[in-house]
Amino acid sequence: MPTQPPLPPLLAPYVTALPTSSLTVLSTVLGAQGNWLTLRYLYAALNASTASDATFSLSGDNNNNDGKKQKVVLVSFLRGWEFWRSEAKRLGLDLARLTDKRQFAFIDGLSELFSSPRTTPTTETAHPPLPSQPALRGGPIPQRTVLPTRSAPGPIPARGPQPTTPRPVAAVPPPSAPPAPREVGGPVTRLHWSSKGAAALDSLEKDIAAVVAQLKAAATAEDASEVLLLLDQPDLLLAATGPSKDVGATEMSEWVMGLQQYVDATVMTLAADLPLIHNASAAGHQMATPLETEHAAFAIGSAHRAHMVMQLRDLDTGAARDVSGVLRVSKGGAWGQSDNVDTNGGREEREVLYFVQRDGGVSVFGRGE
Amino acid sequence: MAPTNTSHRQTHNLLLISKLLSLRDTASPLALVLDSLEQPATPLIKEYIRRAKLSKVHITFVAFETLQPLEGVDAFVAARKKSPLEIVRAVNAAHTNVSTSGPVRRRLILIDAINPLLHARRTDAHFNISSFLSSFLMPQSPTASKVEASLVVTFHQDVPSPPPPSPYTPSPLSMLTYLATTIVRLHSFSHILAQKAARDRSLVPPVFGLEEEQDGVLLGRLDKPVGNDSAQGVVLELEHRRKSGRGVLEWYILPPASHYPRQYAKEIVTLLDDHPLYRPPQEPSFGAGEEEPESTFELRLTDRQRRDREGVVLPYFDAQQGDGPGEGGRILYDMGEEDDFDEEEDEI
Repeated sequence: MPTQPPLPPLLAPYVTALPTSSLTVLSTVLGAQGNWLTLRYLYAALNASTASDATFSLSGDNNNNDGKKQKVVLVSFLRGWEFWRSEAKRLGLDLARLTDKRQFAFIDGLSELFSSPRTTPTTETAHPPLPSQPALRGGPIPQRTVLPTRSAPGPIPARGPQPTTPRPVAAVPPPSAPPAPREVGGPVTRLHWSSKGAAALDSLEKDIAAVVAQLKAAATAEDASEVLLLLDQPDLLLAATGPSKDVGATEMSEWVMGLQQYVDATVMTLAADLPLIHNASAAGHQMATPLETEHAAFAIGSAHRAHMVMQLRDLDTGAARDVSGVLRVSKGGAWGQSDNVDTNGGREEREVLYFVQRDGGVSVFGRGE
Repeated sequence: MAPTNTSHRQTHNLLLISKLLSLRDTASPLALVLDSLEQPATPLIKEYIRRAKLSKVHITFVAFETLQPLEGVDAFVAARKKSPLEIVRAVNAAHTNVSTSGPVRRRLILIDAINPLLHARRTDAHFNISSFLSSFLMPQSPTASKVEASLVVTFHQDVPSPPPPSPYTPSPLSMLTYLATTIVRLHSFSHILAQKAARDRSLVPPVFGLEEEQDGVLLGRLDKPVGNDSAQGVVLELEHRRKSGRGVLEWYILPPASHYPRQYAKEIVTLLDDHPLYRPPQEPSFGAGEEEPESTFELRLTDRQRRDREGVVLPYFDAQQGDGPGEGGRILYDMGEEDDFDEEEDEI
C-alpha cells in the first residue's frame, strides 16, 4: 500500500474548511476508535499553511482555509495530554510549542473532573471532611474509591514536561467561578465538576470559553482568530453524571450548543456502539437503563444537529490485516440549513475504508482500490 | 381503480396539500412533522418558509437546536435554556412588536424540534405539552386583534423518549399525534423506491440507518446509491383530520428546492403515485391484454380446422378399446434374427 500524506487526499475535503458555526459529529465504536481522525482535524487546522502546497492541491480549490491557520481548543474527556502530545508528534505537530505560541490549547476533562480542586493527588485518601465541600454533591464514594486510581497518573506526567512555559497566567479562572479555581502554570487546563446539574455545566462552559477567549485575544494580525473546538467524547460527562445529577441529553446538547457559540466550528466525538444506541429504541425488548436512553438521545439528537456525521465502524466482513475499519460520511440533520452552496463543495456522502499503520500513518481508500 | 376516481382523488388531495402548506383558511392549526435522521425535516421547513414568504405571513422560528437563523425568518427565538413559560412569552412578544407596525393577520410558528423540551429536566412535573402548544395559538389578551396562527412542530422519531414519570402517562409522541390536526411523516424518496422495488419482487423491504441495527451506523443515507440521480425529493405521508373528524391519508412527493425557482407560485407537490419513478408509465400495449402476441405466422385456427382437430381419434383412445390392433395396450414385437431370446427373462 503506498504511503499517503498526513492528510489523505480522500479525507481532505471533509476535515478542512468546516462551515461557520457548524457541528461535525464523529461517531466511533469500540473496535474503530476515532483518535486518528481527531488528529487529522487537528492537523488540518494547525498545519494548513505548510500543507497547502502538497495536500490541498489534490483536494480541489474549494477550501478557503488555504494558508490560513486556525486555532484549536481540544477538550478531551477520555485521554490525557501525554497521549495527544505523543500522537500529534507522529504527525509532526509539536503541541507544546503550539501551546506556547497560543495556537493550541488543551483542556483536560478527566484528570480532576470529580476530585476537589487544590488537592495534591497523593493525599486523596486523607479527606474526611467531605460534607464541608459543597462542590462534591455527587457523593463521597466515587471520590475515594474510583477516582484516585484514575487521576493519579494523569496530572503528574502531564505537568512534568512543561516547566518552561513562559505563561504563568495561563487559564486564569474567571472571578465568577469560585468553586473551581484551577491549577495554573501548565499548558493544561483542567475541568472540575463543581455543583449539580445545569449550574455545573455552566461553569464548565465558562472555563472552556475563557480558554477560547484567551486564544482569540492572542491573535495577531497575520494569523486568523478562527477557533476550532474539538470535543473528545463528552459522552463521558453524561455517563459519569447522568440523570441523578440532573444532567440529561437536553442539558448536554444545550451545553454543546453554548460552546458552539464561542467558536467557529465544532467537532465532537461520540460513542455509537450498538447497546448505547439501540437498547433504548422502541424495538428493544428489555427496559433500557437511563444511561442507554440518555446516551442514545444525546447521540442521535447531536446527529440531527450536525452538519456532517463521520461514522467509524468495523469492517462488516470481519477483521482484516490491511483494513482497520470503515468510514462513512453522511450529511447530518442540519445539512442544507444555510443556503450557500460553496461551503458545501466537495463534500459528498461516501463510504471509504481506512487503515491505521503501526507508525500512526493513515491511508484512506475506496473499496477495491 | 376507475380513471374518474383517480383524477377526483388527485384534484382533491392536491388542493388539500396546497392549502396545508400555504396555511390557507387555517386548515390545520397544529401540524406535526415526524422526521428522522434518514429524512430530516429541513426541506419541508424551508418549503413552509418559502410559501409563507410568498403570502406575506409572519414567521417565528423557535429554535431548540438551531443556532443560526434560517433565511427568510422574521423572528428567531432561541429556546436554549429557557423554561416553557419564557418561550411562550418570547414568541408572543416577537409578534406583538410587529403587529403594531403593520397589519399582519396571519403568522406561522415553527418549532425546529420539540424533543429537547420533552427531555429537559428543567421542565417540571406540571409541564403539559398540550397547554404549552395551545398557548401559542390562543390570543394572549381579549383586546388583541385576532391573529390566525399556525403551528408546525417537528418531532424526531428516532430520538428515544425518557421513561414516563408514571406508567399511566401517555408517551409524548402519542400525545402529540393525538393533538395534531395534520401529521406529516417524512421519508426519503430513494428509500421508498428501494422498498417498493423489493416489495414488487416479494422480497423483504430493506431498512436504512438506525433501523439496520448495525454497530456504529447512525445514518444510512447516501445521496446517489447507484447513479440514481433523479431519485431526489422528500416523500410526505400525510394524515389530515378534517373538522368533521374524517381523516384523509395520502402520499405526496416534494421535489428538491433546486428544481424550481423561489418565487414559483404554482403547486410543486405531486402525488407519489403520479411520479414516473414510483409508478412508471405503463406500456401502451398492456391495456389490451386479451390479444395474443402478433407474429408473421398465422397461429390461430379456423373453425373448420378446429372441428377437424376435435374429430381426430388419438391412438391411446384406440388402445383402451381392447379389440383393435393394439389389443389393450400390449406391446407387439417381432423377433429378428439378431435377438437372442431367453426363456427365463423374456416373455411375450
